[in-house]
Amino acid sequence: MSDNAIKVNVLLFGACREVAGASELQFNLTAPADVASAWAEIKNRFPNLEKFERSALFAVNEEHSRKDQPLKDGDTLAIFPPVSGG
Amino acid sequence: MKNRMDIFEITREPIDKLGLEKRLLTGGAGAIVTFDGVVRDNTKGRRVVSLQYEAYEPMAVREMRRIGDEIRQQWPDVERVGIIHRFGPLRISESSVVIVITSPHRRVAFEACRYAIDRLKQTVPIWKKEIFEDGEEWVEGQAPEVKE
Repeated sequence: MSDNAIKVNVLLFGACREVAGASELQFNLTAPADVASAWAEIKNRFPNLEKFERSALFAVNEEHSRKDQPLKDGDTLAIFPPVSGG
Repeated sequence: MKNRMDIFEITREPIDKLGLEKRLLTGGAGAIVTFDGVVRDNTKGRRVVSLQYEAYEPMAVREMRRIGDEIRQQWPDVERVGIIHRFGPLRISESSVVIVITSPHRRVAFEACRYAIDRLKQTVPIWKKEIFEDGEEWVEGQAPEVKE
């Protein structure tokens, strides 16, 4: 692993999990990374997730986050559709 | 601090509504307002057989706690806040979420309870899928406003 590589834990929920066929995985990213660059990598691996391009929401370390949120080594990135609890 | 006694839980088990009210009731309360969200047997004219809920558990509890904090800022008179959301498979008429607010007088309890369920539907990471007789579909949720 080179100096500018980081590892991020990725969690998928709801329809995103189902479409990808995965709920938890690790991604190696090149620093500097943010939610947007991680999302691009994840869509590369799971092209079916492209249908969530407009609707997907993100959380970094259990906090709702925007796409420009930076990611560092060891962060947990959750990806999910708009919530529908209640 | 009153909020140390608040209750925020995610559970696979049926929700004990009366038990939650009892755990939150204090001598200073003059009103308990409880919202009980139950599974409906139809959506847009289609017959629903059951619902399947999925939760991002630790984050869901954090977001529910945040709703409790927001309620205490907006309605300082609130005595106790309790929110329990269930996940997994749920049958018709079972409770998916129960929210209990206690306060000295009824008005703030009504207002805070309404706020809690509206906010929960925007921010708490839980998703539901409707199971029909002839298929299944994830419910499209609303996008929350992400604070800068």
